Amino acid sequence: MTTTQNISTAAPGVTKPPRRFTFITRSTATLWANWKSRLGLIILACFILVAIFAPLLAPYGASQDGFERNADASAAHWFGTTAAGEDVLSQLIYGSQISVAVGFIAGLLSTIVAMVIGLSWGYIRGFGADVINFIVNLFLVIPGLPLMIVIAAYLQNGGLVMIVAVIVITGWAWGARVLRAQTQTLRSRDFVTAARFSGEPAWRIVFKEILPNMTSIIAGGFFGAATSAILAEAGLEFLGLGDSSIVSWGTILYWAQNSNALLTGQWILLFAPGLCIALLALSLTLINFGVDAISNPRLREGKSR
Amino acid sequence: MNPILEVKNLSVVYESSGFNALQAVDHVSFALEAGEFVGLVGESGSGKSTLGLAITRLQKSPARTNGGEIFFRGKDIRELDAETLRQQRQGGFAMVLQSGMNALNPVRTIRNHFIDIFRAHGHVGKSGWDARQIDLMEKVGLPKETLARFPGELSGGMRQRVSIALALSLEPQLMVFDEPTTALDVLVQQAIMDTIKSLQKSEGFTAVLVSHDLGVVLESTQRVLVMHEGRIVEDAPSRDILENPQDEYTRMLLSHYADPRAEVVELPGFPDRARRDTGAAARTSGATARDGRSSDSAIVVDHVSKVYPPPRRGEQAVTAVDDVSFTLEPGQSLALVGASGSGKSTIAKLITGIEKPTAGTVTFGQLDVAQLGRRQIRELHKNVQMIFQDPYSALNPLHTVEYTLTRPVVNFGGLRGPAARKRVLELLETVGLAPVEQFAAKLPHQLSGGQRQRVVIARALASNPQVLIADEPVSMLDVSLRAGVLALLEDLREQWGVSMLYITHDLLSARLVTDNIMVLNGGRVVERGNTAQVLQHPEDEYTIRLLDAVPNPARARGAAV
Amino acid sequence: MVYVLRRIGFFLLTLWAAVTLNFLLPRMMPGSPTDAAIAKLAQNGPVTDATRKAIEAQLGVPDGNILEQYFGYLHQVLTLDFGVSYTFYPQSVSEMIWQAFPYTIVLVGFVTIIAFILGTLIGVLTAWKRNTWLDALPTLSGSFASTFPYFWTALLLLFFAGYVLHLFPTSGAFGPTATPAFTWDFFMDVLYHAALPALTILITSLGGWIIGMRNAMINTLGDDYVTFAEANGLKGRTVAIRYAARNAILPNLTGFGLALGGVVGGSVLVEQVFGYPGIGYLLFNAVIGQDYPLMQALFLMITVSVLIANFLVDIMYGVLDPRTRR
Repeated sequence: MTTTQNISTAAPGVTKPPRRFTFITRSTATLWANWKSRLGLIILACFILVAIFAPLLAPYGASQDGFERNADASAAHWFGTTAAGEDVLSQLIYGSQISVAVGFIAGLLSTIVAMVIGLSWGYIRGFGADVINFIVNLFLVIPGLPLMIVIAAYLQNGGLVMIVAVIVITGWAWGARVLRAQTQTLRSRDFVTAARFSGEPAWRIVFKEILPNMTSIIAGGFFGAATSAILAEAGLEFLGLGDSSIVSWGTILYWAQNSNALLTGQWILLFAPGLCIALLALSLTLINFGVDAISNPRLREGKSR
Repeated sequence: MNPILEVKNLSVVYESSGFNALQAVDHVSFALEAGEFVGLVGESGSGKSTLGLAITRLQKSPARTNGGEIFFRGKDIRELDAETLRQQRQGGFAMVLQSGMNALNPVRTIRNHFIDIFRAHGHVGKSGWDARQIDLMEKVGLPKETLARFPGELSGGMRQRVSIALALSLEPQLMVFDEPTTALDVLVQQAIMDTIKSLQKSEGFTAVLVSHDLGVVLESTQRVLVMHEGRIVEDAPSRDILENPQDEYTRMLLSHYADPRAEVVELPGFPDRARRDTGAAARTSGATARDGRSSDSAIVVDHVSKVYPPPRRGEQAVTAVDDVSFTLEPGQSLALVGASGSGKSTIAKLITGIEKPTAGTVTFGQLDVAQLGRRQIRELHKNVQMIFQDPYSALNPLHTVEYTLTRPVVNFGGLRGPAARKRVLELLETVGLAPVEQFAAKLPHQLSGGQRQRVVIARALASNPQVLIADEPVSMLDVSLRAGVLALLEDLREQWGVSMLYITHDLLSARLVTDNIMVLNGGRVVERGNTAQVLQHPEDEYTIRLLDAVPNPARARGAAV
Repeated sequence: MVYVLRRIGFFLLTLWAAVTLNFLLPRMMPGSPTDAAIAKLAQNGPVTDATRKAIEAQLGVPDGNILEQYFGYLHQVLTLDFGVSYTFYPQSVSEMIWQAFPYTIVLVGFVTIIAFILGTLIGVLTAWKRNTWLDALPTLSGSFASTFPYFWTALLLLFFAGYVLHLFPTSGAFGPTATPAFTWDFFMDVLYHAALPALTILITSLGGWIIGMRNAMINTLGDDYVTFAEANGLKGRTVAIRYAARNAILPNLTGFGLALGGVVGGSVLVEQVFGYPGIGYLLFNAVIGQDYPLMQALFLMITVSVLIANFLVDIMYGVLDPRTRR
């Protein structure tokens, strides 16, 4: 990259096209033009903003208790209070931090693992590829959530780090498979062979020739992995297998069920956290409609047949 | 006599959101008489396929008819509702698609394809199905056993024959063939065209042959419509087109055809080799003069064979190359010709170290190509460069021309910064892409096919190589662009003194740019010698068949006389 | 034939890998769960030496070298002897599993197959009627429902249909007065109890199958053989079903096999919410009660079931795709 930059500074007057910039603006424009992914982007932005400004938005502290217990909605507590006397709305607002963070971090980490394995798997041949093939297929068919439950059970109360680790371990295989298929398609293209003829080392071929052509697929993989991470985290917390002292949407539901919110009729306590999880997951799914359309032109919105 | 098809002022536009609307077909009018065989010719982007789809009502979004009328047997088919249109397809108009290879449902047997059609139209009684299918298969030259097969079990040529038989089963009055042979091997192409011609005569349907190849069209049709930028620029009997073309564009297209067997072969900007003052000896001395390279850096292929393991268990191993020997001297240009599967591309892979030979050796100077380590392979690639067939796949769509060219300059030339850039601009100059600074900044999708191929050539030259391996460098380009790229290759060879291995199935281009020729069949060399000599007086039967397969308007003239 | 043999080979290999993973898992974990486990077991009565041995073998307390442990474990797996449950002492783990297994197989297996078939059919419809309301409605509501966490859907249904409207029972697989027998009444009672859990799985998994089939079929609708079929004047329904959908089912089937693990995982949560005495509920209780033998055997059971289901899907793929028959 440095060489190209040197060149442009050395030869003023020649305008280089803002290559990367164009690519990103083009992709964003395509996403924005698709009403589904536009809606997704807006919802996601709302959740991220709420997570960042939670301390400003929340009327009370996350674990601040001492209010009337099991109270119904009122002016002081819009969504009522929990069995422990905490403000539900504040918990919901703070809970977004956990889900957004887990989704982002676990999604990112599984995408990185998927990228490393998918790319090398697509690039190598012979016995090594067969071994990776087997391992990936194994991780694909092993049911993720039961494995997470078992691991979580062994690592008593490992907290968020444990949950993220378990999600990454069980969640990378799908992305690796998709990326491998794409790598194989791309490596048979002439420009990859041509790069070898240009004297490019293998790492440069992978990172400069192949990888940039898979951006939309990697993005799709990231959003998919983040979605399942958010759902898995909530599921584990709901079962009480995470750290039940933190405030997340999953733990709110866990405590709600444990304190028999079903019997006391506090439906908001059940309804709101789940809806938040569903909306956050939905926003990512909606964005992926647009991402899919970038990597597969046939899925683009068009006139009916 | 009423025309069977009459098109009046037809316009078709492509409209997709975010892109400018493209008027692919622009106020086109023509009429077809029953029983005519008409060619529709144009280069890529001329709108010929769009027109073909429009007159059979197969166009799909984002294409849309935005003006004009299409009368089939006096009725405007644009007005037909879906069900009438569907019924119209039996005994009306049928279509054989461009990619006939993929036109068959992979999970249905050929027999079921026929049955689907018989069921849909009910024009053949159930008791007659078997006889009808066998009859149709015979007509396209396939054994009746083929009926029980799945498409995946058939070769590309067989699949295209099945497509033709299926279209024929509709008993159409009008058949549109959209590039029916484009994706097929040269020899197969010719056989399929022969089948289409004889079917048209025996069945008596009206036929439209959509093709990019004026040679093929003139050989088979009675009348030709030449399309250019969405308009029909010439509409005349084939013979008139050949002997007395009126439109400049038609004349330009015609000028790019020649008979490789002729005494003198010339194309625009391309005088005959014999008339040029460039003997092989002069070129060799030019090479040595350039930077004192000795002549021992020849490529020597010595009794080389390549056997690939069987594609599936229980099948036979594939011998791609069978005991081939030759030497590519510095400054020499050698053609390697053959149909697909003849092993010519495998030889390129063996020479460039991408594959290793099963037997025999390939040496470049002192280097034994099969024994090279990673670093030496780099050294080999510095001297032996490759020009690829498909300019659309050979350039990374995300990199600018400058980036693509800078990489070999940095890797092999050791240049950095302004020096590297200067060299890149020089290279662009060399391949005739001026103004160089503008081209340097472009992305591949902003370039035409011919320009892309020039960039590919510039990249191959960046390391200042001694040998160029050109694998079908012009076969994906429009006819009118080929001569320019070939002339560039020829100039470079003469100026730079590089030797060239020119791999092709196209004997005309081989005649233009090479001194010597080797004809490969099934991995074996069947004929070799001086290019002009071999092509004028071919001895092997396979060479003769390849020569016959070269589309040649002049031969059509002979036939017409 | 080669295809079937390859699939069988892959199945056996994954089976072995899953069994081995199950063996290694507790041994890779930090700390010693054995002591906690034995302490827990001791509350129910004296721990015999044989039981202690069994627990140690299960949990990887050094008893001979790792290879000996491994073969001992393999022997246990082959004889389906997983030792004694801690929480339900003195019932054996195998007994526990056999009691719970039928409920889950019927609930999850049956509902998943129905959801897949239904989702695929709707997917065909949406792709064929692309960009009409027949496409937009199922696609959007399906993808919205598929983002619901399983346990949330379960809680909502339980709350509204169970506690508020009293339409369905709120827990268990059959009523307190019913006696398990092969009678019509008992069968109806079981169905009645399974309705809400089944509905949960249906609602949450349906969207995925719809979207999967829709995308696959939009792809095949763009294929040349569909255009050619239209050019030959085949009827719309033939083109949609025998050409486009018939080919789209293949990638969708692969997707089905791979998504099964997720559905089974989700059903663990569903069973927990509804107190439905299947494998998932048992797993939850095993985890809460730190009942390691039961937990591990259950995990193995779930994994093997998913592997078998995947194997069946693979074989079905082979039947549907002539290209695998060569």
